[in-house]
Amino acid sequence: MSVLNVKVAEVEQVTEVVKHFTLVQENGEPLPRFSGGSHVVVSMDINGRIHRNPYSLMGSTANTDSYHISVRKQENSRGGSVYMHEQVKPGSTLQITYPTNLFAISKLGRRHILIAGGIGITPFMSQISDLNRLGYDYELHYAYRSPEHAAFREQLQEMCGDRVHFYVDSEDERLDIPDLLSHQPLGTHVYICGPVPMVKALHLHAKNLGWPDNHVHSEEFTAPPSGDEFTVELALSGMEVTVPGDMSMLEAMEEAGAEPPFLCRGGACGRCELEVVSCDGVIMHNDHYLSDHEKAEGRSIMPCVSRAKCSKLVVNL
Amino acid sequence: MERGYWIRSKPLYDSLVWKQHATGHVVIAEGEGGIAVLKLFQQMCPREPIKLLFADDTSATKKYADIITKLVPEGLQVCESGEAVLAALREQLPDCLMGTQFYVAGSEAFIWAVIEELKVYGVQDRNVEKELSGTLARSVYCVHCKTTDKDVHHSIHQCSGCGRHLFVRDHFSRRLGAYMGVMVDAEEPGNIPAAEEIYP
Repeated sequence: MSVLNVKVAEVEQVTEVVKHFTLVQENGEPLPRFSGGSHVVVSMDINGRIHRNPYSLMGSTANTDSYHISVRKQENSRGGSVYMHEQVKPGSTLQITYPTNLFAISKLGRRHILIAGGIGITPFMSQISDLNRLGYDYELHYAYRSPEHAAFREQLQEMCGDRVHFYVDSEDERLDIPDLLSHQPLGTHVYICGPVPMVKALHLHAKNLGWPDNHVHSEEFTAPPSGDEFTVELALSGMEVTVPGDMSMLEAMEEAGAEPPFLCRGGACGRCELEVVSCDGVIMHNDHYLSDHEKAEGRSIMPCVSRAKCSKLVVNL
Repeated sequence: MERGYWIRSKPLYDSLVWKQHATGHVVIAEGEGGIAVLKLFQQMCPREPIKLLFADDTSATKKYADIITKLVPEGLQVCESGEAVLAALREQLPDCLMGTQFYVAGSEAFIWAVIEELKVYGVQDRNVEKELSGTLARSVYCVHCKTTDKDVHHSIHQCSGCGRHLFVRDHFSRRLGAYMGVMVDAEEPGNIPAAEEIYP
Protein backbone atom coordinates (compact mmCIF):
# COMPACT_ATOMS: atom_id res chain seq x y z
CA MET A 1 0.00 0.00 0.00
CA SER A 2 1.37 3.39 -0.95
CA VAL A 3 2.21 5.64 1.94
CA LEU A 4 2.93 9.30 2.54
CA ASN A 5 5.95 10.28 4.59
CA VAL A 6 4.98 13.20 6.78
CA LYS A 7 6.65 15.39 9.37
CA VAL A 8 4.94 16.83 12.43
CA ALA A 9 5.00 20.60 12.04
CA GLU A 10 3.11 21.50 15.17
CA VAL A 11 1.58 19.89 18.24
CA GLU A 12 -1.10 21.68 20.20
CA GLN A 13 -2.62 20.59 23.51
CA VAL A 14 -6.32 21.24 22.88
CA THR A 15 -7.74 19.87 26.11
CA GLU A 16 -6.25 17.84 28.95
CA VAL A 17 -6.64 14.64 26.86
CA VAL A 18 -6.70 15.84 23.25
CA LYS A 19 -3.71 16.81 21.15
CA HIS A 20 -3.89 18.32 17.69
CA PHE A 21 -1.11 17.46 15.20
CA THR A 22 -0.27 19.40 12.05
CA LEU A 23 1.36 17.17 9.44
CA VAL A 24 3.25 18.30 6.34
CA GLN A 25 4.82 16.20 3.62
CA GLU A 26 8.49 15.45 4.38
CA ASN A 27 9.56 16.38 0.86
CA GLY A 28 7.79 19.73 1.15
CA GLU A 29 5.26 18.97 -1.59
CA PRO A 30 1.52 19.60 -1.17
CA LEU A 31 -0.51 16.69 0.21
CA PRO A 32 -3.19 14.90 -1.85
CA ARG A 33 -6.62 16.50 -1.88
CA PHE A 34 -9.32 14.87 0.22
CA SER A 35 -13.08 15.13 0.81
CA GLY A 36 -14.81 15.98 4.09
CA GLY A 37 -15.05 12.99 6.46
CA SER A 38 -11.85 11.31 5.18
CA HIS A 39 -9.34 9.59 7.44
CA VAL A 40 -5.74 8.44 7.23
CA VAL A 41 -4.10 5.48 8.93
CA VAL A 42 -1.01 6.47 10.93
CA SER A 43 1.76 3.86 11.38
CA MET A 44 3.70 3.94 14.62
CA ASP A 45 6.72 1.87 15.49
CA ILE A 46 6.27 1.13 19.19
CA ASN A 47 9.12 -0.98 20.57
CA GLY A 48 9.55 -2.75 17.26
CA ARG A 49 5.88 -3.48 16.78
CA ILE A 50 3.98 -1.55 14.13
CA HIS A 51 0.71 -0.05 15.30
CA ARG A 52 -1.65 1.45 12.76
CA ASN A 53 -4.46 3.72 13.95
CA PRO A 54 -7.06 5.53 11.82
CA TYR A 55 -7.57 9.26 12.49
CA SER A 56 -10.02 11.63 10.79
CA LEU A 57 -8.63 14.54 8.82
CA MET A 58 -10.06 17.67 10.36
CA GLY A 59 -8.57 20.54 8.42
CA SER A 60 -10.25 22.46 5.65
CA THR A 61 -10.59 20.42 2.46
CA ALA A 62 -9.25 23.47 0.60
CA ASN A 63 -5.92 23.19 2.41
CA THR A 64 -3.38 20.77 0.95
CA ASP A 65 -0.31 22.32 2.61
CA SER A 66 -0.97 20.36 5.79
CA TYR A 67 -3.18 17.65 7.26
CA HIS A 68 -4.69 18.00 10.72
CA ILE A 69 -5.51 15.14 13.06
CA SER A 70 -6.54 15.11 16.70
CA VAL A 71 -5.86 12.28 19.08
CA ARG A 72 -7.60 11.59 22.34
CA LYS A 73 -5.37 9.86 24.85
CA GLN A 74 -6.88 6.48 25.73
CA GLU A 75 -5.10 5.25 28.85
CA ASN A 76 -6.49 1.70 28.91
CA SER A 77 -5.77 0.97 25.32
CA ARG A 78 -3.15 -0.65 23.15
CA GLY A 79 -0.76 2.24 23.24
CA GLY A 80 -1.20 4.05 19.91
CA SER A 81 -2.79 7.17 21.35
CA VAL A 82 -0.38 7.23 24.30
CA TYR A 83 2.51 7.03 21.83
CA MET A 84 1.08 9.92 19.82
CA HIS A 85 0.74 11.97 23.02
CA GLU A 86 4.08 11.15 24.62
CA GLN A 87 6.52 10.36 21.84
CA VAL A 88 5.41 12.41 18.84
CA LYS A 89 6.86 15.93 18.90
CA PRO A 90 7.32 18.70 16.34
CA GLY A 91 9.88 17.34 13.86
CA SER A 92 8.89 13.69 14.35
CA THR A 93 8.30 11.75 11.16
CA LEU A 94 5.37 9.42 10.59
CA GLN A 95 4.01 7.28 7.79
CA ILE A 96 0.38 7.71 6.84
CA THR A 97 -1.82 6.17 4.16
CA TYR A 98 -3.52 8.23 1.47
CA PRO A 99 -6.84 9.62 2.71
CA THR A 100 -9.92 7.42 2.26
CA ASN A 101 -13.49 8.42 2.94
CA LEU A 102 -16.03 6.11 4.51
CA PHE A 103 -18.04 8.97 6.00
CA ALA A 104 -18.89 11.34 3.17
CA ILE A 105 -21.80 13.78 3.05
CA SER A 106 -24.61 12.38 0.88
CA LYS A 107 -25.04 14.56 -2.18
CA LEU A 108 -28.65 13.35 -2.45
CA GLY A 109 -29.55 14.92 0.89
CA ARG A 110 -31.40 18.23 1.27
CA ARG A 111 -30.50 18.77 4.91
CA HIS A 112 -27.74 17.33 7.06
CA ILE A 113 -27.78 16.80 10.83
CA LEU A 114 -24.33 16.14 12.29
CA ILE A 115 -24.07 14.66 15.79
CA ALA A 116 -20.74 14.47 17.58
CA GLY A 117 -19.90 12.94 20.95
CA GLY A 118 -16.55 14.01 22.43
CA ILE A 119 -13.56 13.35 20.15
CA GLY A 120 -16.10 12.21 17.52
CA ILE A 121 -16.13 15.86 16.49
CA THR A 122 -13.02 15.40 14.30
CA PRO A 123 -14.53 14.07 11.02
CA PHE A 124 -17.14 16.83 11.12
CA MET A 125 -14.47 19.54 11.11
CA SER A 126 -13.57 18.71 7.50
CA GLN A 127 -17.18 17.92 6.57
CA ILE A 128 -18.23 21.38 7.72
CA SER A 129 -15.69 22.99 5.43
CA ASP A 130 -17.31 21.01 2.56
CA LEU A 131 -20.86 21.86 3.68
CA ASN A 132 -20.01 25.56 3.92
CA ARG A 133 -18.37 25.54 0.49
CA LEU A 134 -21.37 23.76 -1.10
CA GLY A 135 -23.88 25.98 0.71
CA TYR A 136 -25.78 22.97 2.09
CA ASP A 137 -28.34 23.19 4.87
CA TYR A 138 -26.86 21.64 8.01
CA GLU A 139 -26.89 21.62 11.82
CA LEU A 140 -24.17 20.41 14.17
CA HIS A 141 -24.99 18.98 17.59
CA TYR A 142 -21.89 18.52 19.72
CA ALA A 143 -22.11 16.79 23.09
CA TYR A 144 -19.13 16.60 25.44
CA ARG A 145 -18.42 15.74 29.04
CA SER A 146 -17.54 19.04 30.74
CA PRO A 147 -16.32 22.57 29.92
CA GLU A 148 -12.66 21.35 30.07
CA HIS A 149 -13.42 18.88 27.27
CA ALA A 150 -14.87 21.47 24.90
CA ALA A 151 -12.36 20.78 22.13
CA PHE A 152 -12.58 23.20 19.17
CA ARG A 153 -15.66 24.98 20.52
CA GLU A 154 -14.54 28.46 19.48
CA GLN A 155 -13.38 27.29 16.07
CA LEU A 156 -16.74 25.60 15.52
CA GLN A 157 -18.65 28.71 16.51
CA GLU A 158 -16.64 30.62 13.97
CA MET A 159 -17.19 28.01 11.23
CA CYS A 160 -20.87 27.25 11.88
CA GLY A 161 -22.37 30.39 13.46
CA ASP A 162 -25.85 29.62 14.75
CA ARG A 163 -25.87 26.17 13.09
CA VAL A 164 -23.92 24.65 16.02
CA HIS A 165 -25.49 23.52 19.30
CA PHE A 166 -23.46 22.45 22.33
CA TYR A 167 -24.50 20.02 25.06
CA VAL A 168 -22.35 19.92 28.19
CA ASP A 169 -22.96 16.75 30.15
CA SER A 170 -21.64 18.11 33.47
CA GLU A 171 -24.12 20.99 33.22
CA ASP A 172 -27.00 18.58 32.68
CA GLU A 173 -27.43 19.57 29.07
CA ARG A 174 -28.59 16.56 27.05
CA LEU A 175 -29.17 16.10 23.37
CA ASP A 176 -32.65 14.62 22.90
CA ILE A 177 -32.06 12.44 19.83
CA PRO A 178 -35.68 11.21 19.38
CA ASP A 179 -36.93 14.80 19.57
CA LEU A 180 -34.30 15.99 17.09
CA LEU A 181 -35.17 13.23 14.60
CA SER A 182 -38.93 13.59 14.95
CA HIS A 183 -39.31 16.95 13.18
CA GLN A 184 -36.93 16.80 10.22
CA PRO A 185 -38.17 17.45 6.69
CA LEU A 186 -37.98 14.85 3.91
CA GLY A 187 -34.52 14.36 2.48
CA THR A 188 -32.69 14.87 5.79
CA HIS A 189 -29.59 12.78 6.44
CA VAL A 190 -28.11 12.26 9.89
CA TYR A 191 -24.43 11.58 10.63
CA ILE A 192 -22.99 10.50 13.96
CA CYS A 193 -19.51 9.95 15.33
CA GLY A 194 -19.08 9.29 19.01
CA PRO A 195 -19.16 6.65 21.74
CA VAL A 196 -20.73 3.30 20.83
CA PRO A 197 -23.88 3.65 23.02
CA MET A 198 -24.64 7.03 21.44
CA VAL A 199 -24.26 5.62 17.92
CA LYS A 200 -26.44 2.63 18.76
CA ALA A 201 -29.11 4.88 20.28
CA LEU A 202 -29.23 6.98 17.13
CA HIS A 203 -29.63 3.95 14.86
CA LEU A 204 -32.40 2.60 17.09
CA HIS A 205 -34.37 5.85 17.29
CA ALA A 206 -33.99 6.51 13.56
CA LYS A 207 -35.27 3.04 12.75
CA ASN A 208 -38.25 3.37 15.09
CA LEU A 209 -39.21 6.66 13.47
CA GLY A 210 -39.12 5.06 10.03
CA TRP A 211 -35.90 6.67 8.75
CA PRO A 212 -34.44 4.59 5.90
CA ASP A 213 -31.03 3.05 6.69
CA ASN A 214 -29.38 4.94 3.87
CA HIS A 215 -30.20 8.28 5.53
CA VAL A 216 -28.32 7.33 8.72
CA HIS A 217 -24.52 7.48 8.59
CA SER A 218 -22.12 6.61 11.35
CA GLU A 219 -18.43 6.22 11.83
CA GLU A 220 -16.87 4.31 14.67
CA PHE A 221 -13.30 3.21 14.60
CA THR A 222 -13.08 0.21 16.85
CA ALA A 223 -9.71 -0.53 18.37
CA PRO A 224 -9.00 -4.24 17.96
CA PRO A 225 -10.11 -5.96 21.17
CA SER A 226 -7.65 -8.30 22.84
CA GLY A 227 -8.38 -11.96 23.47
CA ASP A 228 -6.75 -15.38 23.58
CA GLU A 229 -3.76 -16.44 21.55
CA PHE A 230 -4.55 -18.54 18.48
CA THR A 231 -2.87 -19.74 15.28
CA VAL A 232 -3.77 -18.64 11.77
CA GLU A 233 -2.80 -20.73 8.78
CA LEU A 234 -2.65 -18.88 5.46
CA ALA A 235 -3.87 -21.58 3.06
CA LEU A 236 -2.35 -20.16 -0.14
CA SER A 237 1.13 -19.39 1.16
CA GLY A 238 1.20 -22.18 3.74
CA MET A 239 2.39 -19.67 6.33
CA GLU A 240 1.47 -20.21 9.98
CA VAL A 241 1.14 -17.19 12.24
CA THR A 242 0.61 -17.04 15.99
CA VAL A 243 -1.69 -14.20 17.02
CA PRO A 244 -0.80 -13.08 20.56
CA GLY A 245 -3.65 -12.02 22.84
CA ASP A 246 -2.80 -8.32 22.68
CA MET A 247 -2.30 -8.08 18.93
CA SER A 248 -4.87 -8.06 16.14
CA MET A 249 -4.88 -10.84 13.56
CA LEU A 250 -4.08 -8.30 10.82
CA GLU A 251 -1.10 -6.95 12.76
CA ALA A 252 0.19 -10.45 13.47
CA MET A 253 0.00 -11.41 9.80
CA GLU A 254 1.78 -8.21 8.78
CA GLU A 255 4.50 -8.74 11.34
CA ALA A 256 5.03 -12.26 10.00
CA GLY A 257 5.70 -10.77 6.57
CA ALA A 258 2.33 -11.41 4.89
CA GLU A 259 0.72 -8.55 3.01
CA PRO A 260 -3.02 -8.84 3.58
CA PRO A 261 -5.22 -6.06 2.17
CA PHE A 262 -6.52 -3.35 4.50
CA LEU A 263 -8.03 0.11 4.45
CA CYS A 264 -9.71 1.49 7.58
CA ARG A 265 -8.35 -0.93 10.22
CA GLY A 266 -11.45 -0.21 12.28
CA GLY A 267 -13.92 -2.86 11.14
CA ALA A 268 -15.85 -0.41 8.98
CA CYS A 269 -14.86 -0.70 5.33
CA GLY A 270 -14.69 -4.42 4.55
CA ARG A 271 -11.47 -4.21 2.55
CA CYS A 272 -9.58 -6.74 4.68
CA GLU A 273 -12.32 -9.42 4.52
CA LEU A 274 -10.81 -12.91 4.41
CA GLU A 275 -12.51 -16.14 3.51
CA VAL A 276 -12.47 -18.63 6.36
CA VAL A 277 -11.54 -22.13 5.18
CA SER A 278 -11.88 -23.75 8.58
CA CYS A 279 -11.93 -22.91 12.26
CA ASP A 280 -11.90 -25.42 15.10
CA GLY A 281 -13.49 -22.98 17.52
CA VAL A 282 -15.57 -19.81 17.25
CA ILE A 283 -14.92 -16.53 15.44
CA MET A 284 -15.28 -13.41 17.60
CA HIS A 285 -16.66 -10.89 15.10
CA ASN A 286 -16.06 -7.29 16.18
CA ASP A 287 -16.65 -5.43 12.91
CA HIS A 288 -19.57 -3.28 11.68
CA TYR A 289 -19.24 -4.56 8.12
CA LEU A 290 -20.60 -8.11 8.00
CA SER A 291 -24.34 -8.61 8.51
CA ASP A 292 -25.53 -10.61 11.52
CA HIS A 293 -26.36 -13.40 9.09
CA GLU A 294 -22.83 -13.41 7.63
CA LYS A 295 -21.33 -13.36 11.11
CA ALA A 296 -23.39 -16.37 12.08
CA GLU A 297 -22.36 -18.21 8.91
CA GLY A 298 -18.71 -17.75 9.85
CA ARG A 299 -17.40 -17.91 6.28
CA SER A 300 -15.64 -14.52 6.50
CA ILE A 301 -13.54 -12.65 9.02
CA MET A 302 -12.35 -9.04 9.26
CA PRO A 303 -8.85 -9.55 10.64
CA CYS A 304 -8.41 -5.86 11.53
CA VAL A 305 -10.70 -6.13 14.57
CA SER A 306 -11.99 -9.69 14.72
CA ARG A 307 -10.23 -12.75 16.09
CA ALA A 308 -10.97 -16.34 16.97
CA LYS A 309 -11.26 -18.44 20.09
CA CYS A 310 -9.76 -21.60 18.69
CA SER A 311 -6.51 -23.45 18.28
CA LYS A 312 -6.35 -23.04 14.50
CA LEU A 313 -8.06 -20.76 11.99
CA VAL A 314 -7.38 -21.36 8.28
CA VAL A 315 -7.97 -18.45 5.89
CA ASN A 316 -7.78 -18.23 2.12
CA LEU A 317 -4.77 -15.92 1.77
CA MET B 1 -34.89 -15.33 -21.78
CA GLU B 2 -31.32 -16.09 -20.79
CA ARG B 3 -31.10 -18.02 -17.53
CA GLY B 4 -28.97 -16.77 -14.71
CA TYR B 5 -28.50 -13.41 -16.39
CA TRP B 6 -30.00 -10.17 -15.16
CA ILE B 7 -29.66 -6.53 -16.05
CA ARG B 8 -29.26 -4.97 -12.64
CA SER B 9 -30.82 -1.65 -13.55
CA LYS B 10 -34.19 -3.29 -14.31
CA PRO B 11 -36.45 -2.32 -11.39
CA LEU B 12 -38.16 -4.97 -9.31
CA TYR B 13 -41.71 -4.36 -8.18
CA ASP B 14 -43.38 -5.94 -5.21
CA SER B 15 -46.78 -6.04 -3.54
CA LEU B 16 -47.51 -3.07 -1.31
CA VAL B 17 -47.16 -3.87 2.40
CA TRP B 18 -47.41 -1.31 5.21
CA LYS B 19 -44.07 -0.47 6.74
CA GLN B 20 -43.86 -1.18 10.43
CA HIS B 21 -41.96 1.93 11.48
CA ALA B 22 -43.21 5.30 10.25
CA THR B 23 -44.35 8.77 11.24
CA GLY B 24 -46.94 8.77 8.45
CA HIS B 25 -47.95 6.98 5.25
CA VAL B 26 -48.67 8.41 1.81
CA VAL B 27 -50.24 6.11 -0.80
CA ILE B 28 -50.27 7.29 -4.41
CA ALA B 29 -52.07 5.27 -7.08
CA GLU B 30 -53.65 5.49 -10.50
CA GLY B 31 -55.93 3.28 -12.59
CA GLU B 32 -55.30 -0.45 -12.03
CA GLY B 33 -53.18 0.57 -9.06
CA GLY B 34 -56.60 0.72 -7.35
CA ILE B 35 -56.39 -3.06 -6.89
CA ALA B 36 -53.03 -2.69 -5.13
CA VAL B 37 -54.58 -0.05 -2.85
CA LEU B 38 -57.50 -2.34 -1.99
CA LYS B 39 -55.08 -5.17 -1.22
CA LEU B 40 -53.06 -2.81 0.98
CA PHE B 41 -56.16 -1.79 2.93
CA GLN B 42 -57.04 -5.44 3.53
CA GLN B 43 -53.93 -5.61 5.74
CA MET B 44 -53.95 -4.38 9.33
CA CYS B 45 -53.93 -0.60 9.03
CA PRO B 46 -51.08 1.22 10.74
CA ARG B 47 -51.76 3.68 13.58
CA GLU B 48 -49.95 6.59 11.97
CA PRO B 49 -51.87 9.06 9.74
CA ILE B 50 -52.50 7.88 6.16
CA LYS B 51 -52.91 10.04 3.05
CA LEU B 52 -54.24 8.38 -0.09
CA LEU B 53 -54.15 10.10 -3.47
CA PHE B 54 -55.97 8.22 -6.22
CA ALA B 55 -57.26 8.74 -9.76
CA ASP B 56 -59.13 6.29 -11.94
CA ASP B 57 -58.00 5.75 -15.50
CA THR B 58 -60.83 7.58 -17.28
CA SER B 59 -60.46 5.49 -20.44
CA ALA B 60 -60.66 2.15 -18.62
CA THR B 61 -63.93 0.33 -18.04
CA LYS B 62 -62.99 -0.83 -14.55
CA LYS B 63 -63.13 1.94 -11.95
CA TYR B 64 -62.03 1.76 -8.30
CA ALA B 65 -62.69 5.21 -6.78
CA ASP B 66 -66.15 4.29 -5.47
CA ILE B 67 -64.98 1.14 -3.71
CA ILE B 68 -61.93 2.92 -2.30
CA THR B 69 -64.14 5.77 -1.01
CA LYS B 70 -66.25 3.25 0.91
CA LEU B 71 -63.23 1.52 2.44
CA VAL B 72 -60.99 4.48 3.20
CA PRO B 73 -62.87 7.10 5.18
CA GLU B 74 -59.98 9.35 6.18
CA GLY B 75 -57.16 10.98 4.30
CA LEU B 76 -58.50 10.07 0.85
CA GLN B 77 -58.26 12.52 -2.03
CA VAL B 78 -59.78 11.31 -5.29
CA CYS B 79 -58.34 13.21 -8.25
CA GLU B 80 -59.46 13.65 -11.85
CA SER B 81 -56.33 12.23 -13.49
CA GLY B 82 -52.84 10.94 -12.90
CA GLU B 83 -51.54 14.47 -13.53
CA ALA B 84 -53.88 15.79 -10.82
CA VAL B 85 -52.54 13.14 -8.43
CA LEU B 86 -49.00 14.39 -9.06
CA ALA B 87 -50.13 17.98 -8.45
CA ALA B 88 -51.83 16.97 -5.18
CA LEU B 89 -48.67 15.13 -4.12
CA ARG B 90 -46.56 18.23 -4.86
CA GLU B 91 -48.73 20.16 -2.39
CA GLN B 92 -48.33 17.53 0.32
CA LEU B 93 -44.57 17.03 0.17
CA PRO B 94 -43.33 20.25 1.82
CA ASP B 95 -45.19 19.27 5.02
CA CYS B 96 -44.00 15.66 5.10
CA LEU B 97 -41.42 14.73 7.71
CA MET B 98 -38.64 12.14 7.69
CA GLY B 99 -40.22 8.83 8.55
CA THR B 100 -43.07 9.32 6.07
CA GLN B 101 -43.39 6.12 4.04
CA PHE B 102 -44.43 6.27 0.40
CA TYR B 103 -46.36 3.59 -1.51
CA VAL B 104 -46.95 3.86 -5.26
CA ALA B 105 -49.09 1.68 -7.54
CA GLY B 106 -50.00 1.97 -11.19
CA SER B 107 -48.31 1.73 -14.56
CA GLU B 108 -44.54 1.88 -14.71
CA ALA B 109 -44.70 5.36 -16.26
CA PHE B 110 -46.89 6.56 -13.36
CA ILE B 111 -44.62 4.98 -10.72
CA TRP B 112 -41.57 6.77 -12.08
CA ALA B 113 -43.43 10.06 -12.53
CA VAL B 114 -44.24 9.90 -8.80
CA ILE B 115 -40.62 9.06 -7.96
CA GLU B 116 -39.50 12.07 -9.99
CA GLU B 117 -41.62 14.28 -7.69
CA LEU B 118 -40.29 12.57 -4.56
CA LYS B 119 -36.70 12.92 -5.71
CA VAL B 120 -37.02 16.73 -5.57
CA TYR B 121 -37.52 16.29 -1.82
CA GLY B 122 -34.55 13.99 -1.38
CA VAL B 123 -36.56 10.75 -1.24
CA GLN B 124 -34.60 7.95 -2.91
CA ASP B 125 -36.47 5.48 -5.11
CA ARG B 126 -35.11 2.48 -3.21
CA ASN B 127 -36.97 3.67 -0.13
CA VAL B 128 -40.33 3.83 -1.95
CA GLU B 129 -42.67 0.80 -2.02
CA LYS B 130 -43.71 0.14 -5.60
CA GLU B 131 -46.33 -2.17 -7.12
CA LEU B 132 -46.67 -2.46 -10.88
CA SER B 133 -50.34 -2.81 -11.81
CA GLY B 134 -52.40 -3.49 -14.90
CA THR B 135 -49.87 -3.24 -17.68
CA LEU B 136 -46.25 -3.98 -18.45
CA ALA B 137 -46.13 -1.11 -21.00
CA ARG B 138 -42.74 0.57 -21.04
CA SER B 139 -41.42 4.04 -21.63
CA VAL B 140 -38.64 3.67 -24.19
CA TYR B 141 -35.81 6.13 -24.60
CA CYS B 142 -34.26 6.23 -28.07
CA VAL B 143 -30.51 6.40 -27.56
CA HIS B 144 -30.11 7.87 -31.05
CA CYS B 145 -32.48 10.88 -31.02
CA LYS B 146 -33.25 11.05 -27.26
CA THR B 147 -37.03 10.83 -27.75
CA THR B 148 -38.96 8.99 -25.03
CA ASP B 149 -42.05 7.12 -26.22
CA LYS B 150 -44.62 6.10 -23.62
CA ASP B 151 -46.93 3.08 -23.54
CA VAL B 152 -44.74 0.85 -25.66
CA HIS B 153 -46.10 -2.70 -25.86
CA HIS B 154 -43.90 -4.08 -28.61
CA SER B 155 -40.29 -4.82 -29.24
CA ILE B 156 -39.29 -3.97 -32.00
CA HIS B 157 -40.63 -0.41 -31.57
CA GLN B 158 -40.47 2.29 -34.21
CA CYS B 159 -39.23 5.54 -32.61
CA SER B 160 -41.70 8.43 -33.00
CA GLY B 161 -38.80 10.87 -33.10
CA CYS B 162 -36.45 9.47 -35.74
CA GLY B 163 -38.33 6.50 -37.22
CA ARG B 164 -35.56 4.04 -36.35
CA HIS B 165 -36.60 0.53 -35.38
CA LEU B 166 -35.59 0.04 -31.77
CA PHE B 167 -34.86 -3.13 -29.87
CA VAL B 168 -36.18 -2.54 -26.33
CA ARG B 169 -33.61 -3.54 -23.74
CA ASP B 170 -34.06 -4.28 -20.00
CA HIS B 171 -31.49 -1.58 -19.29
CA PHE B 172 -33.45 1.00 -17.24
CA SER B 173 -32.67 4.62 -16.40
CA ARG B 174 -33.93 5.70 -13.00
CA ARG B 175 -33.33 9.31 -13.96
CA LEU B 176 -35.45 9.11 -17.12
CA GLY B 177 -37.85 6.42 -15.92
CA ALA B 178 -37.42 4.64 -19.25
CA TYR B 179 -35.85 1.61 -20.88
CA MET B 180 -33.11 1.89 -23.45
CA GLY B 181 -34.09 1.44 -27.09
CA VAL B 182 -31.30 0.74 -29.59
CA MET B 183 -31.46 0.59 -33.40
CA VAL B 184 -31.94 -3.07 -34.28
CA ASP B 185 -30.66 -2.95 -37.87
CA ALA B 186 -27.57 -0.80 -37.38
CA GLU B 187 -25.24 -3.55 -38.58
CA GLU B 188 -27.48 -5.00 -41.29
CA PRO B 189 -29.66 -2.15 -42.56
CA GLY B 190 -33.14 -3.33 -43.41
CA ASN B 191 -32.88 -6.57 -41.39
CA ILE B 192 -35.71 -5.79 -38.97
CA PRO B 193 -37.27 -8.63 -36.97
CA ALA B 194 -41.06 -8.59 -36.65
CA ALA B 195 -42.48 -6.58 -33.79
CA GLU B 196 -43.90 -8.76 -31.01
CA GLU B 197 -46.17 -7.77 -28.18
CA ILE B 198 -44.18 -8.63 -25.06
CA TYR B 199 -45.28 -5.78 -22.74
CA PRO B 200 -49.09 -6.21 -22.77
